Amino acid sequence: MNTVLLRRRIIDILTLVFAMAATAFGLFWLVWILFTTFVQGLQALNLDLFTEMTPPPGGEGGLLNAFYGSAMMILLAVLIGTPIGIAAGTYLAEHGRNTKLASTVRFINDILLSAPSIVIGLFVYELAVRTIGHFSGYAGALALAIILIPIIVRTSEESLRLVPNQMREAGFALGLPRWKLTSQIIYKSAMSGLVTGILLGLARISGETAPLLFTALNNQFWNPDLSGPMANVPVVIFQYAMSPYDSWHALAWAGALVLTVFVLTLGLLVRFLARKRSSR
Amino acid sequence: MGFLAAARAFTVRRGPPDVSAPGRAGGGWKDALFEHGTAAATWLVLFLLIGIAASMAWGGRLAFQTFGFDFLTSAEWDPVAGNFGALVPIYGTLVTSVIALIIAVPVSIGIALFLTDIAPQWMRGPIGVAVELLAAIPSIIYGMWGLFVFAPFLAEHVEPWLNETIGTWPLIGPLFSGPPIGIGMLPAGIVLGVMIIPFIAAVARDVFNAVPSGIREAAIALGATRWEMLSRVTLPYTRSAIVGAIFLGLGRALGETMAVTFVIGNSHELSPSLLMPGNSIAAAIANEFTEADTELYRSSLIALAFLLFVITFIILSIAKLMLRRMERLSGKTQ
Amino acid sequence: MTEIPVQSAVETTPFTGTASGQPIKIDIRNLDFYYGKTRALKSVNLPIAAGQVTAIIGPSGCGKSTLLRTLNRIYELYPEQRAEGEVLVDGDNILDRNYSLTRLRRRVGMVFQKPTPFASSIRNNVGFALNFFERMSRSEAEDRIENALRQAALWDEVKDKLNASALSLSGGQQQRLCIARTIAIRPEIILLDEPTSALDPIATAKIEELIHELSQSFTIVIVTHNMQQAGRVSEQTAFFHLGELVEFGQTSSIFTNPTETRTKDYITGRYG
Repeated sequence: MNTVLLRRRIIDILTLVFAMAATAFGLFWLVWILFTTFVQGLQALNLDLFTEMTPPPGGEGGLLNAFYGSAMMILLAVLIGTPIGIAAGTYLAEHGRNTKLASTVRFINDILLSAPSIVIGLFVYELAVRTIGHFSGYAGALALAIILIPIIVRTSEESLRLVPNQMREAGFALGLPRWKLTSQIIYKSAMSGLVTGILLGLARISGETAPLLFTALNNQFWNPDLSGPMANVPVVIFQYAMSPYDSWHALAWAGALVLTVFVLTLGLLVRFLARKRSSR
Repeated sequence: MGFLAAARAFTVRRGPPDVSAPGRAGGGWKDALFEHGTAAATWLVLFLLIGIAASMAWGGRLAFQTFGFDFLTSAEWDPVAGNFGALVPIYGTLVTSVIALIIAVPVSIGIALFLTDIAPQWMRGPIGVAVELLAAIPSIIYGMWGLFVFAPFLAEHVEPWLNETIGTWPLIGPLFSGPPIGIGMLPAGIVLGVMIIPFIAAVARDVFNAVPSGIREAAIALGATRWEMLSRVTLPYTRSAIVGAIFLGLGRALGETMAVTFVIGNSHELSPSLLMPGNSIAAAIANEFTEADTELYRSSLIALAFLLFVITFIILSIAKLMLRRMERLSGKTQ
Repeated sequence: MTEIPVQSAVETTPFTGTASGQPIKIDIRNLDFYYGKTRALKSVNLPIAAGQVTAIIGPSGCGKSTLLRTLNRIYELYPEQRAEGEVLVDGDNILDRNYSLTRLRRRVGMVFQKPTPFASSIRNNVGFALNFFERMSRSEAEDRIENALRQAALWDEVKDKLNASALSLSGGQQQRLCIARTIAIRPEIILLDEPTSALDPIATAKIEELIHELSQSFTIVIVTHNMQQAGRVSEQTAFFHLGELVEFGQTSSIFTNPTETRTKDYITGRYG
């Protein structure tokens, strides 16, 4: 083997090693992070987590009010964000596919998908908190909804586009008006895609912390009222993790575990749905 | 899995190509309402962007008026005296993002190469999912892990070593010397790097897969090795899309908040060392906004947010445009 | 050259010599090819003569491209594809796992159906593989590039814009560029997989002329679905049908006096 071939062979092997090492590097962090979260979280996990309120500094307790607050705000965000997102997705896929508005909004929407969420939190602060005068669960839900909308727009446009045009033609041939065609036929056949999008959005907003910092803020006590400051899992994790108390750290890990498991479960569900859809 | 919707958004839109939607049938006012309703929601997305930019500009006007251009160049951040300059957070944001890219770009290209070229078929699915999971983990988990696990690890095992070796080198030495406390710009950059790997890797994998098989076969038929294929065929062919993917990763790194807030140290001192605490725009806002007790203080933080929004908007727009070029190219030659 | 009677592949396998009496360059023996479980080539025996153009014809799906892709083992890119049997190039079995792929790629070049220019300059395309196999100075490389482009009848059209992107060339020029890229590394054998199917008639005529020129220095195997083209460019023709070699012989005999009815049906346009 001459030196040229030897050199090329060595570089080829180095490339192979590099690609494998890069992949191992990526997986290494995943394993490390998940491992830590599970070990620390399981140690701190107990029934009190779901039955007790967030404790005062240094005390023992649970995250009941935080779970409740998160659930309420996420629910409300989905209720606000889904119809708006699907409506815009419908416009992009059905009504205004080739309009200037559609191409502009596609561009903008894809950028909003990756826009810094902390800025969205500040936006809602300016919009809602400052004008009303105090932090509230409603403001938190609004911020989450604004993060959710671009995700729903994107996924709903995509799944509506996958509906074959024959469906639309068949509907028209039957004499259905446009709104009926879309709401009764097109949505139905795109249903699993629309649901996937919502689940995806749900997974994304359940972990969002930054937009809640200045909108829902936090609340150490039980507060079922969305018009006041509201406890929520991510912000509690943030505050407790940054605190000097071991008992708060433990609670933060337990919350982190629950959050991670929730998000990963949603992810697997989305994948399952997507596979079912593509195999159909 | 779809956590990378934000990444996918930058590549291909699937579905039947523009068969124009059937025109208006005589559905009367309900049709009109439906269509205008969906159009209104579409306008709302547009207004969201404009609204965010406008409200940040409006909220930050007091800071911009008070400090003028000095806001960008002053390293002073003194809430007591009411003097605010954005240099430290801007510097920290850029430095951490650059560190993140230095780590994430080669790793992501390596992963994409592995997933498209090297891994046996049965391995590609599971490993692809695992890499996507990195994007699924909420950033607050990255932050906690960074604070409780990664920072102590760095402080104990890596930073003393950095101090003794690279820290003594000329020129770049000062970057790597300083007390090994585990909190600072280097740890923040590394955590950011890990966070953006799945985004760059996903786009890179998609565009590598978009290289026509004929081109790959032609290179193989000429005797090209993996390295020659990557460096002389695949990368030149996908250049603009790869740049787009990198900008997408950069856009996400610039705006990432929680993970950075945990590990960057929230210090407004300008320090040459990467091992020293610093600040980023997003972390400064997250840490200080609820404590900001004067109008000027709050306005300065909102002005920071305005800067961040404008920068990420530009970076993400570039990403989008670069990837769109790739979409056209692969559509044309296939 | 004495006329050798056309042999029927079905009756007399394996062949003992080439149809033209030239020495054998590639000797294919009992070759089977599988796509997963589908058998795409069935016990093919075919001797390909050195320094000649051998055309492989047959209806789509008959295995003609598969055969070509076996000759440089490009099929190995796809894990579910495999070949069994022997392909002897100058007596060495190239299907042997121990046969160096580097050596094989150097000896056997391939040009594909669609032009495959790399996203790079014309010069870099032709010089792409030059330093793969031997150390070469800059000026040597420049000479090789110029020679290859001249041989591929492209030099006059591109000599003033060697740094321009290869993607800016026309389809026919791109295909000649790919041929230049292949001959730049001086292989012994060139495989052409329907090289003109994506080109217009004028570009096709240029490539055919080029193939004729190249047969002075290389052994050429061309797959084509265009029978007139096979008639024009080749000295020998092999007709495949459903993975079997039906008939092989002098091109002139195959086209004027086929022995097999399947060949006759195909040539006269009854199917395919």
